[in-house]
Amino acid sequence: MTAELTPLTKQPETGGATDRIGRPGFRIDVNTLVLAALCAVVLGLLFTMYVEAPTFFRVNNLINILVQASIVGILAIGLSFVLIGGGIDLSMPATLALSGVIGAICMRDMQSAWIGPVVMLTAGTAIGAFNGYAVAYLRMAPFVVTLATMTVAGGAAVWITGSQSISDYPLEFEDFFLFRFLRLPLSVWLFAACALIAAFLLNRTMFGRYIRAVGFNPAAASISRVPVSRVLCLTYVIAGFLASLTAILLIARLGSASASLASDSLLLDIISACVIGRVSIYGGVGNPLQAALGAVAVTLISNSLNQLGVSYFASLVIKGGIIVLFVYLDRFVRRSA
Amino acid sequence: MRTSRILATLGDAHRNLGLVLALLAVMAGFSIAAPSFATTDNLFAILHAMGPSTLAATGMALVILTGKIDISIGSIAFLSASTGALLMEAGHSPLAGFAAILGLGAVLGAINGFLVAYLRINALIATLGTMMAYRGIGLIFTDARVIPLPETMRSVANATIGPVFIDTVAVVAIVAAIQVLHRSTSFGRSLSAVGNGEDIAARIGLNTRRTVFLTFTLAGLLAALAACSSFIQVGSVSGFLGKGLEFNAIAIAVVGGISLAGGRGTIVPGVLIGAAAFQMISNGLNQVNADPYIYQLVTGAVIFVAMYMDAFKRAPVR
Amino acid sequence: MNALPRLQMSSVAKRFGPVVALTDGNLTLHAGEVHALMGANGAGKSTLMNILGGVISKDTGKVVIDGAPVELNGSAHAAAMGIAFVHQELTTMPTLTVAENMFLEDYPKRGPFIARRRMIAEAAALLARVGCQIDPLALVETLSTGDRQLVEIARAIRKAPKIIIFDEPTSSLSGPEREKLFGVIETLRANGAAIVFISHFLDEVFRISDRITVMRNGCTVGMWAKTETSTAEVVENMLGSVAATDRVREPFVSGSAPFLVAREVTSGPLIDGVNLTMRPGEIVGLWGLLGSGRTELVRALMGLDPLSAGRIEVAGDDGVLRETAPAALRQRTGLVTEDRRKEGVILPFSIAQNIGLPNLAQLSNAFGIIDARKERALATRLASELGVKAVSVDQTAGTLSGGNQQKVVFSKWLPMKPRLFILDEPTRGLDTGAKGEILKLTVRLAEEGASVLFISSELEELMRVADRYMVINRGRITHELPGSASHDALMASVSDERSMQGAA
Repeated sequence: MTAELTPLTKQPETGGATDRIGRPGFRIDVNTLVLAALCAVVLGLLFTMYVEAPTFFRVNNLINILVQASIVGILAIGLSFVLIGGGIDLSMPATLALSGVIGAICMRDMQSAWIGPVVMLTAGTAIGAFNGYAVAYLRMAPFVVTLATMTVAGGAAVWITGSQSISDYPLEFEDFFLFRFLRLPLSVWLFAACALIAAFLLNRTMFGRYIRAVGFNPAAASISRVPVSRVLCLTYVIAGFLASLTAILLIARLGSASASLASDSLLLDIISACVIGRVSIYGGVGNPLQAALGAVAVTLISNSLNQLGVSYFASLVIKGGIIVLFVYLDRFVRRSA
Repeated sequence: MRTSRILATLGDAHRNLGLVLALLAVMAGFSIAAPSFATTDNLFAILHAMGPSTLAATGMALVILTGKIDISIGSIAFLSASTGALLMEAGHSPLAGFAAILGLGAVLGAINGFLVAYLRINALIATLGTMMAYRGIGLIFTDARVIPLPETMRSVANATIGPVFIDTVAVVAIVAAIQVLHRSTSFGRSLSAVGNGEDIAARIGLNTRRTVFLTFTLAGLLAALAACSSFIQVGSVSGFLGKGLEFNAIAIAVVGGISLAGGRGTIVPGVLIGAAAFQMISNGLNQVNADPYIYQLVTGAVIFVAMYMDAFKRAPVR
Repeated sequence: MNALPRLQMSSVAKRFGPVVALTDGNLTLHAGEVHALMGANGAGKSTLMNILGGVISKDTGKVVIDGAPVELNGSAHAAAMGIAFVHQELTTMPTLTVAENMFLEDYPKRGPFIARRRMIAEAAALLARVGCQIDPLALVETLSTGDRQLVEIARAIRKAPKIIIFDEPTSSLSGPEREKLFGVIETLRANGAAIVFISHFLDEVFRISDRITVMRNGCTVGMWAKTETSTAEVVENMLGSVAATDRVREPFVSGSAPFLVAREVTSGPLIDGVNLTMRPGEIVGLWGLLGSGRTELVRALMGLDPLSAGRIEVAGDDGVLRETAPAALRQRTGLVTEDRRKEGVILPFSIAQNIGLPNLAQLSNAFGIIDARKERALATRLASELGVKAVSVDQTAGTLSGGNQQKVVFSKWLPMKPRLFILDEPTRGLDTGAKGEILKLTVRLAEEGASVLFISSELEELMRVADRYMVINRGRITHELPGSASHDALMASVSDERSMQGAA
């Protein structure tokens, strides 16, 4: 009976041919438009910086921005996997903090630099797997699961360290991760590598195709023999893994591990990066390369506003406004597509 | 007929039975471990301390009942409270200050409501954006200073009626009013109806957009009230006011049996149970001289337990 | 029956863009009668009723109520005109109480508050009128489907409507619940309401209705008093007649060993002890009216709903039957569901990506990297083989017409050569040309050695391809007919005594 009603709820299927050919192109146009708008904002910002604060363009400052962006960026890449798969992960900063703290303690107690990264990556991946299991197999709401994980992991990090920072681990750890190549520190190279690998995974491999299929339509994906639960679970594992990778880099840069690595503003920056990078929160759509660019944009905005003398507070307002604007545009683009 | 009526009256209480039992067990444990826990004084202290989070969680619960979420309430609390505090510092009367706080809270909530209900922006992201923006504006206003409240305000905090603090009375009255609003007005009922299914509610002829808009406005107002309740107790407004309040409120709502899918849950007893659970745990841990850092860990664990129970109740897991 | 009809709808037409949903809808209702409205899928019943209920507006035609012409603007206006619509899908809110549900958009008030006591009393009175004893304070989620339906009806009769539309009210009810509903309808009729009753169950229609209007292809084809017609005549008019020469291929009798044997498959409230054997190379037509359990059977076979009893055996490469879990069977089946937009294609994916999705293992190298050229080549080959009309295989599936989307769904299964295909209403919503192509494709699959279970509510279509018929009624296989079965025999099989008692 519903078949008789379907024309009410969807476009007639026999649209004009020109219309059909036109639509995909239109969609790309709007995408380009949004990207162009972002570029314009960033270029405008850079120009202002050039006039107002030339020191901004000192190589060291630019490298510094890239280093900051690499932290937000790797996390944003991890989050974009989860978002494209149709979920959300609020626990990434907390995962970063907990795995970092555990790894640092292991390094300190065993006085071995190598155990740190191994433990951190294992812990982060395990936390991600836990989230993934709860969401994919127990079918719990991603928002609550990762909210709870955020609280537990964040709490555990505080509890284990007693709010103290840990720094008396072997220095080889920092030596290795502060290694520079072509003046750029390892973290920037890793950031670039992550972005490229993630983009490759999502755009060129079976696994990436599965993630998008699940993000768009789990029911249809399941009928097309996509192992939906496994794919969904893996997106959280990747997020957890990348969170702990970030932990390594961040601890090496800061020279100490503490529970305060998981700041609220970090979570906001990650989500902002994804939203600005046009990774859709409705699943399926997004490119980690753009999320990485989003991370650079977010860092650039914070950093340059800071140098222009705009307070941190005002930059919060600006970033908040940008998020709302971009999601609104995203909805608009999706509706017209 | 009679038993089902009693069950219906109890609402979601029986859904929370396991949690209530666990809560009682925790209370018993604390009472044994710390003799000071199960005293009337401490009980009133708990009631007093849970005021702000109860108000915030009540607003959050209303939003979640419509199937949405609002993570900006902490920032609403901060921005409205700091604006009010600045007005009072500038010599305006406490009454004007209060009016400004409440009015601003409602307006900020209404902005969220407009973004979500009329511009149809995903609630999580819209309120994430306003969360940052509101806090940023508040910090610009206050320049991250700690603003002390006038002496008259602080004396309000210590006023009691019998053994009960006066702001506790206010909280009880507000929660009771919201409970009546939710249970016994057509707005309250349509709020739950929207949470059951926005499409069906619209088909029946309910104005779902207006309902969602008003709910966010109300949540903003309650966040402002939570801010009042909180700064009266502290005596000043700092840059940290309301920080993490939204997550606290979500946790209370989830533990109180408000389903994030929308439509399911009650303010009384649901939210009250949730708020009491967290306050009791924090107070109890304090009384037994536990490591203060363990509190957050326990909080998270409580959310997980509540969530797992909900997941298993909701659907068979394959 | 008085001379002036309560409602007269004449020559009502409605188009949705280029799609004609209703060409010539006519319906005459009298006070105090139960009037059955029958028709196959797409016959225009729902469109006609949605116009009457004010849900959609008509293009042309007349609606006359009690002798006065009316224009119905919106469902609220229709309700004010005394028309109540009990929708097929439940519109009750599970977490609210029964009474709250009944007054959702218009509570009795005392000041700003809901007058709870009055609401409960009024709800109880309405519930009593539909003859049930549900506690008005019970939460709807604690009620059975049947009770929820009664709540909807109680809500619908709140404003004492003159005309009540029941859109397939019995499709999800159990036997006793159905009896209860019929009792309610009797009472409403006795109170003078004019009742439209839409159902696919002939036994129900012949039991409770006074007159029957039949629609086909957007037109009203006739109206009969129940006493003056027969089930066979109604079915004949509903489905139209078919020329047997239209067959895509002559019935094929497979002599091979069975590929699949389902034994006593039982699932959910409907599917009850179904036995099914399928042999390679044959197309088994699953024939039954809407609501007979066709889709539910597919869901059970494919593991989308759990089996409560029975087993499924599938032949391995050695030809030996082994018990197989339904979910595992799904991994080896080409499944085409009726809802291609929700379950068939992924709309934002391109044609190539949709076709590639289940075949990625073959299209990727050892590292899981998709060979895009291979993918496009495969898609291009299949798309041209099946005649998918598109600019290129990079075109988004969401922009294709229904027939082309369905061809994409078929295409994605072809590379892995499944030995079993289940096609659930594969031609639904397609135009005649596209239908023919899908049917030819179906025969090709069988000729290549697959077993095909073909489901359709249009007998014309089924008769063009089926080699054998399994007739399903109320979740049971009631008849098995050979491919040579005549149109009349098939009609009789869904309308005779035995099939009507299918559930008994």
